[in-house]
Amino acid sequence: MNVIFYLAGAVAILSTVLAISRLNAIHALLYMIVSLLAVALSFFTLGAPFAAVLEVIIYAGAIMVLFVFVVMLLNVGPEATEQERLWLQPANWGGPAVLAVILIAELAYVTLHEVLAAPPAQIITPLGVSLTLLGPYLLGVELASFVLMAGLVAAFHAGRREPD
Amino acid sequence: MQGECRPWFLRTEREGKRAVMTLSALIPILPLLILGLGAVVVMLQAAFYRHHALTWVLTLLIYLVALGSLPFVARTLPAKVTSLVLVDPYALYFLGLMLAGGLIVAVLSFGYLRGGHGNAEEYYVLLLLATLGAAVLVVSSHFATFFLGLELLSVPLYVMICYPKAGRARLEAGFKYLILSAAASAFLLLGMAFLYDQLGTLEFSGLMLASSSPGSSHLFLLTGYGLLAVGVGFELALVPFHVWTPDVYQGAPAPVSGFIATVSKGSLFVLFLRLFGQAAIHSDRSLWWMFAVLCIASMLAGNLLALVQSNLKRILAYSSIAHLGYLLIPFLALGPSARPAVAFYLTAYFAITLSAFGVVGALSSPEHEVEDLEEYRGLFYRRPGLAILLTMSLVALAGVPPTAGLLMKFYIVTAGMEASLWFLLILLVIASVVGVFYYLRVALVLFRRPSEEPLRSLPVRLLSRGEGIALVVLAGIVMVLGVYPTPFLQFLQRVVYPIG
Amino acid sequence: MTTVPTLYGMVLAGILFGLGVLGVIIRRNLFFILLSLEIMLNAAGLAFVVAGSRWAQADGQVMFIFILTVAAAELSVGLALLIQFQHRFHTLDIDAASDLRG
Repeated sequence: MNVIFYLAGAVAILSTVLAISRLNAIHALLYMIVSLLAVALSFFTLGAPFAAVLEVIIYAGAIMVLFVFVVMLLNVGPEATEQERLWLQPANWGGPAVLAVILIAELAYVTLHEVLAAPPAQIITPLGVSLTLLGPYLLGVELASFVLMAGLVAAFHAGRREPD
Repeated sequence: MQGECRPWFLRTEREGKRAVMTLSALIPILPLLILGLGAVVVMLQAAFYRHHALTWVLTLLIYLVALGSLPFVARTLPAKVTSLVLVDPYALYFLGLMLAGGLIVAVLSFGYLRGGHGNAEEYYVLLLLATLGAAVLVVSSHFATFFLGLELLSVPLYVMICYPKAGRARLEAGFKYLILSAAASAFLLLGMAFLYDQLGTLEFSGLMLASSSPGSSHLFLLTGYGLLAVGVGFELALVPFHVWTPDVYQGAPAPVSGFIATVSKGSLFVLFLRLFGQAAIHSDRSLWWMFAVLCIASMLAGNLLALVQSNLKRILAYSSIAHLGYLLIPFLALGPSARPAVAFYLTAYFAITLSAFGVVGALSSPEHEVEDLEEYRGLFYRRPGLAILLTMSLVALAGVPPTAGLLMKFYIVTAGMEASLWFLLILLVIASVVGVFYYLRVALVLFRRPSEEPLRSLPVRLLSRGEGIALVVLAGIVMVLGVYPTPFLQFLQRVVYPIG
Repeated sequence: MTTVPTLYGMVLAGILFGLGVLGVIIRRNLFFILLSLEIMLNAAGLAFVVAGSRWAQADGQVMFIFILTVAAAELSVGLALLIQFQHRFHTLDIDAASDLRG
C-alpha cells in the first residue's frame, strides 16, 4: 500500500509540474486531470474512498470540464483548426497517456489483489463522512450552499454580454 | 452505527453521540438565518419582477429585521451552536456592527447604481450574501466556519467589484482581488490543515502551541501558524501583502470599496482577534514578533506610501492599510482594555471610512468615478455639504480632535501602555504625524479656489435621500463619539469584555 | 505497518501547493493563473484528507468536501470574468491590465 501511495504521489508531482509548464492550455488541462486522478488514488490508499470518489467525479469531472469548456469558448479563428490537427499527434497525448497507464496499473493491482484485506489504519466510509457532515457540520453544509448561490448569481451577472 | 434513523430535527438533544442541531439552537444564529433567507427572497423577487427601488427597499428591510433580532439573541447568550459557531456578547456586538455596515453600504449604493445601465438587483443579493459571510466570520469558532464565512464574503465581492458593467478598470480590479483572495484562502487552508494534523481538532479552543501526541512536530505546528498568518496578512492587506489592494480600491465602485475596507476587513480582524488572541498562542514570542513586524510595516508603509498618491481612493486604501496596522497594537497587547479599544476603534473606523467612501460615491456614477484629486479641487464651492463631510472624514482619519479619530487612537495607546509596548506606540505617533500631512493635503485641495472655471464640471448627480441621510448620520456618529464617548465606552466595556 | 506516515502525505501536499504558488507567480496567462489557484486549493484539500486519516476522523474529508464546493463556486465566477476579460482586452495577458498602477 505504501508503494502505491509513493507512486501515485510521484505521478501527481510530475504531472503538476508539467501542467504548470505547458504552453498549450489543453495540454496543461490533461496533465492536471492526471494529477487529480493520482491524488484520488492516494486518497484511496489513505483510507478515504469517499474523498477519492469525489475528487474524480467533482474535481476532475466537473471543475476541469469547466476549464475545457472555457478553452473551447475562447478558441476563435483559423488557428483553431490548425491547432486541432497538431493536437492529435502522439507527441502531445503521449505524456498524459503514459502517466495514466501507470495509474491504471496501480488501480488494477489494488482491485485484483484485494489489498483492502490489510487496510490502512482505519477506513472512513461514506457513511461515516455523511454522519459527520450532516451532524455537527450541518451549518457548514448550509453555508456551502449559500456560497454556491453566491457563485451562481455572481457568475450569472459576470457572464452577461453587455451591448457596448 | 445503524441506530438512529429519525431525521435530525426530530431528535432530542440527548440522543446521538455527536452534537445535533435542535430548533432552539437556531435562535442564537437568528441574524444569520434572516440574512440568508433574505438573500433568497430578494433573488426571487428580482427573478420575477425587476425593479431597482423595490429590491433596494426589500434589502434595507432585511437588514433592519436582522438588526432588530439582536436583542432577542442577546437573551440566550453565551451560546455554542454546534462546535462551529460561538455567539457571545463579543461576537454579538460585532455582528451588529457588520449588519450596520452592510445596511449603510446598501443605502449608499442605491444612488450610485441608479444611474447605471446594468441590472442592479443582483448587487443587493450579493451584498446580502457578503454580509452573511462577514456575520459568519464574526461568530465563528471553528476552521470550517472560518473558511466558509471567508469565501461567502469573498465570492460576491469578485463580481460586486465589476458592477454594473465590466469595464477595463473594474475587470482589472476584480481579477486582482480574485487572485489575491483565492491565494490567501489557499494559504489559510494549508495552514489549517497543518494545524489539524498536529492538534487533531478544527476548533479554535483546541489551538495550542505544542502538541503532546506522538509523532507531532513543532516545526509543522509553527509552519501551520505561519501559513495562517500569511493568509490573514493577505486578506487584511497588511504590509508586505498589500501590493494589489490600492488597485482594487481604485477600480471598484466607491460603495464596494467602502464595504471591503470596513465590513470585509473588520469581520476578518474580529475573527483574527478571537483566534490568535487566545493566551495559549499569544505567548509564543516568534509568532508575536511576526505580527509586531506586520504591525510596524503596515503603520509606516501605509502612511508613507500614501504621501505620493494623487488618487483619493488609493489614498483611502493606504489609509485603511495603516489603520489595520494601528489595530494590531491592542491585539499585541491583549490586556483588559484591548477588546473594548478594538471595538471602539472599529466602530469609529467604520463610520469614518464609510463616510469618506460615501462622499466619493455620491459624486460618482458608474460611468465616471470621481477619484483624481484634481477633480476635487474647489469642491467646497460647488458642493459645500459633501466637501464638509469629506473634510470631517479626513480630519477624523488623521486623528484630530474633536472627531472620534483622536479618541480611537487614544484608546489604542491606552491598551498598548498596559502592556508597555512603548516602541510600537512611538511608531504609532510617528506614523500618525505622517498621516496628518496627506490627509490635510487632500482637505486643503477641497478648499482651493479653482484657477479658472472648472475645466471638468462634475456631473451633478442628485443625492438620493437615503445617501444624504446616511452621510449625515455617519458624520453625527463620528462627532458624537469624539466629543462624548463615555456612555458608549461604558457599554463596550460591559459587553465586549471576554468571558472567562 | 501498512499505514502511510502522514508526514509524507503532508510533504506531498506541500510540494503540490508550492507548485501551485509557482504557477501563479510565473505564468502571465490568466487562464493558467486560475489553473494554478486550483492546484493550490487541491493541495490544501489533500492535506486535510491526510490529516483526517491520521486522526481517523471524518472531519478531514468534510473539510475536503467544503473546499471542493468553494473551489467550484470560485472557479465559475473566475471563468465568467475571464471570458469578459478576453472580450475587453482581447488578450488573456495579465500584464495587459495595468491601468491601475500608481
